[in-house]
Amino acid sequence: MIRSSARKICMLGDFGVGKTSLVARFVHNTFSEKYLTTVGVKVDTCEVARTDGEPRKLVVWDMAGRNGIDTLGASYLRGASGLLLVVDGTRAATLRTALNLLMQARTVVPAAAAVLMVNKLDLIEHWEVEPLTVAELRNSLPVFETSALTGDGVVQAFATLAREIPE
Amino acid sequence: MNDLERLRQILLDGDRRALDEARRRIEAAEQRQLTLAERLPQALEEVQHGPHGERFARVMAAPVAGALGTAVRSSRHLIIDALFPIIGPTIRKAVGEAMRSLVTDINRALESSFTLRGLAWRVEAWRSGVPYAEVVLKHTLAWQVDHLFLIERESGLVLDRASAPALPALDADAIAGMLTAIGDFVSDSVGREGGDTLESARVGEHLLWLIQGPRANLACFIRGVPGTGLHARLQERLERIHAALGAGDADPALVASVSAENLDLKALTADAASEEPRRPTAWWPLLLIVLALVGVLAWFMLRDRGWETRVEALRGRLADHPGFVLTGIDAGDRPRLVVRGLLDPDADPLQPLLQPAIAAGAQPQLLVQGYLSTADAIVQRRAQRLLQPPPSVRIAVTDGVLALDGVAPEAWVEQARLRAPLVAGVRDLRLTVEASQRPEAIARAELEALVRELPELRGRFERGEAAAPESAAFVDALAERLRGIGQKAATAGVGIDLVAVGCNDATGADSTNAGLRGRRGEWLRDALIERGVPAALIRVADDADPQFRDRPLERSVFLHLDITSHP
Repeated sequence: MIRSSARKICMLGDFGVGKTSLVARFVHNTFSEKYLTTVGVKVDTCEVARTDGEPRKLVVWDMAGRNGIDTLGASYLRGASGLLLVVDGTRAATLRTALNLLMQARTVVPAAAAVLMVNKLDLIEHWEVEPLTVAELRNSLPVFETSALTGDGVVQAFATLAREIPE
Repeated sequence: MNDLERLRQILLDGDRRALDEARRRIEAAEQRQLTLAERLPQALEEVQHGPHGERFARVMAAPVAGALGTAVRSSRHLIIDALFPIIGPTIRKAVGEAMRSLVTDINRALESSFTLRGLAWRVEAWRSGVPYAEVVLKHTLAWQVDHLFLIERESGLVLDRASAPALPALDADAIAGMLTAIGDFVSDSVGREGGDTLESARVGEHLLWLIQGPRANLACFIRGVPGTGLHARLQERLERIHAALGAGDADPALVASVSAENLDLKALTADAASEEPRRPTAWWPLLLIVLALVGVLAWFMLRDRGWETRVEALRGRLADHPGFVLTGIDAGDRPRLVVRGLLDPDADPLQPLLQPAIAAGAQPQLLVQGYLSTADAIVQRRAQRLLQPPPSVRIAVTDGVLALDGVAPEAWVEQARLRAPLVAGVRDLRLTVEASQRPEAIARAELEALVRELPELRGRFERGEAAAPESAAFVDALAERLRGIGQKAATAGVGIDLVAVGCNDATGADSTNAGLRGRRGEWLRDALIERGVPAALIRVADDADPQFRDRPLERSVFLHLDITSHP
């Protein structure tokens, strides 16, 4: 395996969960969002501080909202070291979609680290995802409550994923 | 051993031994089967190098070919990846050898092309000591590699990159990622099963090449139109990278070393340029320019020559014009033409002489002053105007000598004797006019003058024509001279016979010409009758008349006057 110092991570989630908005303030936006509706993916980069203080460059593949991994999606996933799963807290169905996507993605990138982001923390009073469910999910993978509006939890989620990614 | 056992031994002993033998053989076969994998390589090696090697190769050809075909169909990627490091060089070598001699021949021909640019480059090569081919290359290289990315095929991550200096910074990882995604998208959308991939894209003057390898791709961003050598060099470098990195995990230090060596843009450009087919020092644009210049020059020369020819022709016409002295022509300010000179009042106007120059685009301007010419023709006109001789008097000027001949009333003769020497230009006077008071003598003299004058007036025709409407002036002049001719004949006491004589040129059949002569004579007779000449006085010349047998060979008509003794 030839390895670059940067790492590829893919963002997955159902339609309208706020993936693009979540990272908009966090990444270097090189390309237009129109690629999401045409090619089905938009690639940006960001740098995350590691525990040793050294920055790690992440190449973020923001994949268009989907509820399954098709052939093209699988080709986009290839070579990913990390997965960012995004859920809309106000729609419980998006959690099932995210977990389903995670299972399908594992068949393509079994060694990839994964982090779950339950989005729309600013609308927590309308959440359908139960706190108990979130607590149970934390037993399986890192879970963060995030808000694209306020930016809460986003940096922590990226930092955790950067740590989880194997060297 | 009891009886039963003894009996069994007797009956079945043979079968048992056979069964034991069979069991041993089966066990030995199973043992050989188990060790086949260990013994097979050695056995194959032995048979290959043994006396049956050729037969073995023949036997194995079919199953190996079948297996390879199956592998190509079922695992094309594996075959492609396995062949990748060798298939490129093999093809290039075969094609390269074939092209080398052709390119050499072409280059030799082109390098020796004798053009100004080629000469300038040769001078530069001689001056700088650099081979001519390199100088040509320096001037013809019209492309530049802006960026070169080595991209991990699977993840789309940038393994290494090189960029030309002074270019704006860019996010190579994001670009490489999107390139990979777009490549996957295109391949998934339009590529056939088996891995057709995006290989190039062009936007304006920018060209993107994606050169695919089994584990890593090269993305090359080029400005301009690269030569054929660049793609081959990139392919070669990618193969070198794959060969150096091997199939297993690569040491990052090794990756850095290998990519630094192979992504050196300066070396890449130089390598590609050295194989660039040298552009021919195209001679045809220079030839076209020279031809255009020669054409323009020739056009100017012809135009000047034409202008000068026209001016000279005008100069000749003006110089020959009686009563005009040309003092100069100013033709420098083309198309303006200034004609300067002296013009006698009795001379013909100059305008008709200028018509050819006007038709050729000139704008002539006449700057003339009056003078009195001593040319005989002009002196004759002057004398004619001043003396007003009757038709019975002939007037002529030769070398300034004015000759007056004929019959005229006595009063006119006396007046002419006094005034003629005073006419400007008349050096001497020879007056032989018979002074007569008899009207018949004067009339007869006028008729005799007409006999001389009429044949001088000719009407002209076009080829094959028997009517000349444009000759109205000629007919009018004839009619004017014939006015009162009947009265004159009566006064003179003689008869007159007017004959319209048609003529033809030397071409054409006799019968056709005879018809033309007759019709031309008839046309003149009819025209004169129309203008009041009595029809009884005029007839058309007959071919049978010996007087008109030898007519002038020209397309004309004239009038002949005969005076007979009896009215």
